[in-house]
Formats: sequence, structure tokens, C-alpha cells
Amino acid sequence: MLDGIFAGLSTAVMPFNLMMVVVGCFAGTFIGMLPGLGPISAVALMIPITYGLDPSSGIILMAGVYYGAVFGGSTSSILINAPGCASTVVTAFDGYPLAQQNQAGKALALAAYSSFTGGTVGAIALLFAAPALAKVSLSFQSTDYFALMILGLTAVAAFSGKGQVIKALIMTVFGLMIATVGTDTTSGATRFTFGSIDLIDGISFLLLAMATFALTEVVMTVLKGEHREEEEQVDMSKLGSMKLSRAEIKEVAPTIARSSVFGFLVGVLPGAGATIASFLAYGLERNLASAKEKLKFGKGSLRGLAAPESANNAASTGSFVPLLTLGIPGSGTTAIMLGALIAYGIQPGPRLFLDHPDVFWSVIISMYFGNLVLLILNLPLIPYISKLLVIPRPILIPMILFFSITGVYLVSFNTFDIQMMVVITVIAIFLKLLEFPMAPMLLGYILGGLMETNLSRALVISDGSLAFLWERPLTLTIISIAVIVLVVPPVLDLFRNRNRKGPEVAVNEGEG
Amino acid sequence: MIMTKDHIGGMVFLCLSLLYGYYAGDIQMLPGDEFEPFTARTVPQTLAILGGLLSLALLLTAERTESKRLSLSNYDFALVAKLLVLIVVFGLALEWTGFMLATMFFLMGGFWLLGERRIKTLLIVSVPFAVGIWFILAKLLDIYLAPGQLYMQFFGG
Repeated sequence: MLDGIFAGLSTAVMPFNLMMVVVGCFAGTFIGMLPGLGPISAVALMIPITYGLDPSSGIILMAGVYYGAVFGGSTSSILINAPGCASTVVTAFDGYPLAQQNQAGKALALAAYSSFTGGTVGAIALLFAAPALAKVSLSFQSTDYFALMILGLTAVAAFSGKGQVIKALIMTVFGLMIATVGTDTTSGATRFTFGSIDLIDGISFLLLAMATFALTEVVMTVLKGEHREEEEQVDMSKLGSMKLSRAEIKEVAPTIARSSVFGFLVGVLPGAGATIASFLAYGLERNLASAKEKLKFGKGSLRGLAAPESANNAASTGSFVPLLTLGIPGSGTTAIMLGALIAYGIQPGPRLFLDHPDVFWSVIISMYFGNLVLLILNLPLIPYISKLLVIPRPILIPMILFFSITGVYLVSFNTFDIQMMVVITVIAIFLKLLEFPMAPMLLGYILGGLMETNLSRALVISDGSLAFLWERPLTLTIISIAVIVLVVPPVLDLFRNRNRKGPEVAVNEGEG
Repeated sequence: MIMTKDHIGGMVFLCLSLLYGYYAGDIQMLPGDEFEPFTARTVPQTLAILGGLLSLALLLTAERTESKRLSLSNYDFALVAKLLVLIVVFGLALEWTGFMLATMFFLMGGFWLLGERRIKTLLIVSVPFAVGIWFILAKLLDIYLAPGQLYMQFFGG
């Protein structure tokens, strides 16, 4: 393990990779600040750039963008009450009231310190949890992998918000269907190409990710008319001091510690992600608060701000555990990273730890650097970065559209891909209007090919019998967990709905 | 009878699953595949059944409340359609006018569609941006960007 850590450290401290962390954090902060664009869009926009880099640098850049985007989302939540992503919606509950009380500087600083602590606790836990889990999963066979993929898909679907389980499952199946387009790797038969040469290689991951998460998100802002809204001018003179008093630090320290650990644990669950972690941490903190303190929640409570901020960053880090060790993404953003790793020819999972220790460890170590960069570089620069928010939307939107389109075009140099992106965007807009979540579709697409390969192997080994699902204890255990994960949330919902009919907090897609 | 978003989604996916299942039957099989436990049709056919069952489940469990109805007011579909057409035109222009000119036209068109009408702003933003991106890609990163068929016809390759 020590050898791996040193190999990772030496890769992570290479000047180019350090630069990638810094660039990623800045780019992520900027994109994350833009209302409507969250970590998924930010990471999707980076894919074409990472194609020219080696795997470690590419994933380091994406991880930097991920943190930056979560942090950027918090900034716009606090300054203009416009969360850049679902995981920072809770930040606005107490962050924006603080900004209105001329304490935006303090809120931003607290958000940064909480994020830093959350990220650090997450990175340290990842350092120990990931190799331990990877060692256990080294004994996995193709049947177990197939079961794991089922678990990953069902978990994402089950965590997709109340009343959304069937829709999320349908989207997962839709993603699996898209994955079957093209040439079947086992038999060489072409499937669903309808005679088109451009579809023989299937629909590329880059194209699908960019169309559904970058292009669609931007087009949705136009569809809703958000581009016409006057940009809220951020008055930098009203930022106030960025310093926290000793009493305030004493007040929030236990909250940050609690929420960091809690966030990491939630993040580790496949499919849960930063959004659910931030909502749960806020709820937990509110329940733990005294009656007097409870009244402050929603009106500028420091604890109410620190809890979701620590939790969402710790969960972002936690979601790398199932990604790096089992090859199952913990969130929509890590699903995109999984796709990028597969595109590099690297299969995340237990073998990653052994076959590519440099990638495995450098990602973990660079996460820590990413948190440092956010605290040391981004925080003092926030007043300047937030000035980018005043770029008029009519100028900004076509530029983001341009980057989304050319990002795909410059990889394939095939203009058919641009037309294909438009078609997929139209379908994605229609599905979004019908409130279908997008992350399960992408996950289904990414895991589809691998799942088919493992199922084919398992069936051939067991001579066509499905008995492998219950004959091997490990496979049976994983399948049982998948069933529990799938069945328990809707059943609990049903009971809760019967017992009380009150206002609900809808949690979106687990996309953080 | 109230048609909600879930009903529309359920019906769309039911049709999709039926079509997908129908075309799954067209996938070519290798000789002897009928005796194999796993063929190129196995997963598509399973997915078609699964998709159909889930769509039916959505249709049957969907709430029939007024709030779940699909409302298309308050959305600017015309503008989105124009933007998407602009993207398609950009794709075609890339082949004919080359990267730099296509980028300029795309950006100017995008700015104009979204409400920026000052010619000076359109030019000041789009021209340096397009030239800058072209310079970075073609000169700094050494990526070959085809000059466009119109250019080739006038000036030769």
C-alpha cells in the first residue's frame, strides 16, 4: 500500500498534474457558479479536454472540476440565492439570509472551511476505505460483477427521489437499450444501426454525456426563459469580513465534524451522492439543535450553513469509494468519470488498485490538493471570480453551446455527431419536461456493455442456467442487497404517506 | 380523464419497448446460435420485456392529479427550435466554410437569437473569440481543421 501511495504522490505532485488541479478547481468554480449548470455539466464539458491527457491527469482534472463546481454552486447559492446544482440548494437556506445581513464574506468563508474539512475527512477516509474494499473485491468473479452492476443500477434508481423509482428504472433500461446500439462485441452482429455506417460503432459516451448534461442543461435555461432574467449584481462592498470569531468557530466545529463523517458515509452508498447527503445533514443538524437554535435555521444559522457544506464535499469524496473499488459510480458525476476511465481503457474496480496504482492513488491524493486549492486560492479570489456572473447570458450561453458541440466534434471530426447531439438533446428536453431523471440513463448506458459481457460469461460458464444468481453466496448477497435497496425506499414511502400527509422535500436525481 | 406526465411517459416508453423488441428480432444470428444460452438477441429481448413491464407499471401507478399535468405554457419552444437549427446549420457550415467562419457565424447567430442586437458587440465578441480558438487549436495544439469546401473550390487545396 505504501508503494502505491508514494507512486500516487509522485504522480500527483508532478507540475502538470498540480496545474490540472488548479485549472480544474477554477474552471469548476466558474461553471458551478452559473445557475443551471452543476458538477455533471462541468465534468461533461471537460471530457473532450481530458481525451488528450494521460489517464491520471485527466481524472485529476475532472476531480478538480467536480470540487470546484460544488464550491462554485455554494458561492452562487450564498451570493444570489441561485444554486448552481442540486447539492447546494440547502446551502442557500441559510447562506443567502446571511448574505442579506451583509455577512456574505463570513458565509463564503464558512462554506469554504466546511467544504475543506468535509473534503479532508472524506479524502482521509477514502485513503483507508478504498484499498480495504478493493482487497475484498479482488475475489470477485464474472457472476459477482454482473450482480454488482445490477446493484449499481438499482441503487441509483432507488435513490432518485420520492415517487421517481419507476421512472428512474425506466431510464436505466433506456440507457441499457442505447448501449446495445452498434456492433455486438461478442458475436460481431450489428444491432439497431438501421443501415447507417455512423451507428456501427454505437453512440459514443462523449456524445451522449455532452448532449444530455451540457447541451440539454443550457438549452433548458433558454427554454425556461432564464437567459432573460437580469443578472443580479453582486455588490462586493457588502461582502463584509471573511473572518470567523472564536465563539463562532466553537459553535460550528462539532457540526462540521459530524456532518463530514455523516456525508462521507452517505456518499459511499452507490447512488446517494452529495445532494441527499446535504439534505440529510441539514435535517440531522436541525434535529440536534436546541429549540432556540432551531428557530435560527433558515434565517442565517451558521450551523445550518456548515452542515450541508461539509456533508456535500465529504459525500463527493465518498462517492469515489464505490467508483474506484467496485466500478460503481456513487453519483451522476462519478458516472461520467467512470465513462471517461473506460474510454481510456481503464476498468475501474478491484483490479484498478493493482493494475493502475498510479491512477488510483494519484486521484485520492490530488483530491486533498484540490481541497487545499479551493481554500487557499479560490476563497480569496471569490470576489473576482464572482464578477464573471455579470457576463450577460446572451453572450455566455452561445459560448457554452459552442464548447459542448465542438468538444464532441473535435474528437470525431464527424459532423454527423453534431446532428446526433441535436436529436438526443430534443429527446432529453422532452424527457426532462416529463420529469424523467437523466443520471440513471447515463449509468445504464455506461454499465450496459460491461453487464452484457459479464452476463454472457456467467451464462456460458453455468451452461445457460440462471442458477449462478443464487448458487454463489457472494453473488446472492449482492443481489439480495440490490433487491432490498430497490424495494425498501418505495415501501417506506408508502408507509410514510399513509401515516402523514405533509410537505415533502423532493431530492433530485442524486446527481451531486 | 386526466393525462399526466407519467401517463405520457409511460405510453412513450411502452411504444419504444414494443418497437425495440420488434427490431431485436431482426438482429442477425450466427449459425448454431439457437443452441447457445446467450446470443446477440438475449439482452435486447430481455430489455424490451423489462421496458414494457416498467412502462405498464408506470401507467398503472401514475397519480391522476391536476398538478401532474404536462403544462407547456411558459416555455419558449420557438427560441429553442431556432437555437437547435442554428446548431444543425453550424454542423453543415463546418464542412463548407471551415471552422473559423462557421464559429463566427454560429456565435453571432446565437447572440442575436438571445437578444443581443448591437452589431458592434456581435463582432467584437465573436470575431476575436473564433480567431483565438482557431489559433489555439490549429497553431498551438497542431490540430488539423479542414479549411472547408468553399475555400477549397476558390483557392484550391
